[in-house]
Amino acid sequence: MKSNSKALSAPYTVWMVIFIVVPMLLVGYFAFTDKSGQFTLENLLSVGQYSNVFLRSIWLGALATVLSLLLGYPLAYIIARMSEKQQSVMVMLTMLPMWMNFLLRTYAWMSLLEDNGLINSALSALGLPKAHMINTAGAVVLGMVYNYIPYMILPLYSVLTKIDPSVIEAAQDLGANDRKVFLRVVLPMSMPGMISGVTMVFVPAVSTFIISKMLGGGGNLLIGDLIDMQFLGSAYNPNLGSAISLVLMVIILICMGIMNQFDDGENVGGGVLP
Amino acid sequence: MGDPIISLKDIAVSFDGEQVLKSFNLEIQDGEFVTLLGPSGCGKTTVLRTIGGFVTPDGGEVFFNGKRITSLPPHKREVNTIFQKYALFPHLNVYDNIAFGMRLKGKSEKEVKKTVHEMLAMVNLTGFSHRGVVQLSGGQQQRVAIARALANDPKVLLLDEPLGALDLKLRKDMQVELKKIQQQTGITFLFVTHDQEEALSMSDTVVVMDKGEIQQIGTPTDIYNEPQNAFVADFIGESNILDGMMLEDYWVKFAGRKFRCLDSGFGRNVPVDVVIRPEDIDVTEPDSTLITGEVTGVTFKGVHYEIIVDVNGFKWMIQSTDCREVGDRIGLSLGPDDIHVMAKSEYSGTFGDYSTFSDEMEEDINASEEAEQEEEHEI
Repeated sequence: MKSNSKALSAPYTVWMVIFIVVPMLLVGYFAFTDKSGQFTLENLLSVGQYSNVFLRSIWLGALATVLSLLLGYPLAYIIARMSEKQQSVMVMLTMLPMWMNFLLRTYAWMSLLEDNGLINSALSALGLPKAHMINTAGAVVLGMVYNYIPYMILPLYSVLTKIDPSVIEAAQDLGANDRKVFLRVVLPMSMPGMISGVTMVFVPAVSTFIISKMLGGGGNLLIGDLIDMQFLGSAYNPNLGSAISLVLMVIILICMGIMNQFDDGENVGGGVLP
Repeated sequence: MGDPIISLKDIAVSFDGEQVLKSFNLEIQDGEFVTLLGPSGCGKTTVLRTIGGFVTPDGGEVFFNGKRITSLPPHKREVNTIFQKYALFPHLNVYDNIAFGMRLKGKSEKEVKKTVHEMLAMVNLTGFSHRGVVQLSGGQQQRVAIARALANDPKVLLLDEPLGALDLKLRKDMQVELKKIQQQTGITFLFVTHDQEEALSMSDTVVVMDKGEIQQIGTPTDIYNEPQNAFVADFIGESNILDGMMLEDYWVKFAGRKFRCLDSGFGRNVPVDVVIRPEDIDVTEPDSTLITGEVTGVTFKGVHYEIIVDVNGFKWMIQSTDCREVGDRIGLSLGPDDIHVMAKSEYSGTFGDYSTFSDEMEEDINASEEAEQEEEHEI
């Protein structure tokens, strides 16, 4: 039995070694060497000069994550309380944009937000002043929220539907009004969904490069763009690119570590919200 | 008796156009252990949920201590519920589960701590404070649910089939324990079950329900010994229910013979249902003065034998400690106090003949009833 499952997992192990472990080691190797293959810490040290890009990426990524959570939670909550039939329709509508090509979706926002785009044309047709939207940090955040919000809604929806209605009734029975039911039962019970939603939005948002490239113009450079430039762009420098990737990975790991800490605390300590 | 603590007046409830309760009236006295007993789908859980505030009736009024609470939301009612699947808060430990209601009421942590420990002691879970509720066994979760409800010091405790998910042994222990807690605290218990044995052994008053209507209210002995119609007679325990004719006071005719009985007040020559409990029948040698029949089935039940006897096509059930063989001809001896006469009702003729009886079938019915119960709960 045991050897059988080992044999079955062999192809996956081989796959993981070739396409995950080896590339990670390569990234590590490039990050710690210079062009001639000599060991150096210079790449990592020079990452420091891009700290503003890191900060911007984390700031915009976090902003997009918080907005997705604030927008996604009520929707997930509403969907979870619908009839089964309505639920499947709503879940499909939530996922529908994900079936469309990512580039196309972002490109569509470009033509909407442009100075002479659809929104501004509509505004001037109504006699209103034009608004400058494209190539701003706001446009980047909008692009992130738009693209990644389904990854927030779906895990939230799935934990919310699993909450037994009788648990909610029990809270009401014990004297909780709607607000207290939400704060003391629904919210803490949906914590695992929030954590996976936050992870699934924050990680791609922080490392995106397409969204900032298309909607942010040159002024909103993100880590993703920086890495992109080191490998495919003008500033060709895979060693520096690897070092930036490595630092980004460490930052994300730390963020996730903090998030998971939060989750554990919730389960073990049985903390009570005010 | 004083004023009732809970009274339901003309309650009407329907779900998706299906009438579950229709002008339902019930009064519950303070300090009583009342059981709502009936088959699944009879509306007993709906009555409980109406009192708890989870169902708003289409018509009628709910009174609590004389005050109208019909449209009061659950969190403002002075009743607490123990749910069928306990509905403990999985994100909280045992202590915080029990403390939940008291904290909402703004009790001091010192007070909360004292009450939680009292409650834990009462349900024999001292030392379990910091356990997560998910790891507890069914019986332990049940105890936490009881402690959580009682910690709020409710005037009335509503129990929705709380023992349904426990195994037989544990269920028996919990019956005794619940009864003890009720007597200690003096809190009014309204208990819902489809298990007639549970109802009889725990309650002060049993309310037998079917099709959204009360069939009979009475003490467990009344319900068992003096069923008011064929439904009650059949649902509570085993019964042979025969078509009979009340000839005059104290004389009833059935199975082709005249019998002396203890019932009166039906009038002359009135058709009635006659109930004879299987354990009240004495098995004797066949005799021309007795009902006689042929044994068609014998099942050993431990305490007694269950004997099915064919008397002119009508099959009787007898519970006797004497063993008889299939094919034996036997006499059935009845005394006046073994015969109970009931007025005809809509249930006449639907119960009480053991022609199609088999243990296997009964188990099937029980199993499907339990499955239905599950479904009902999920809705």
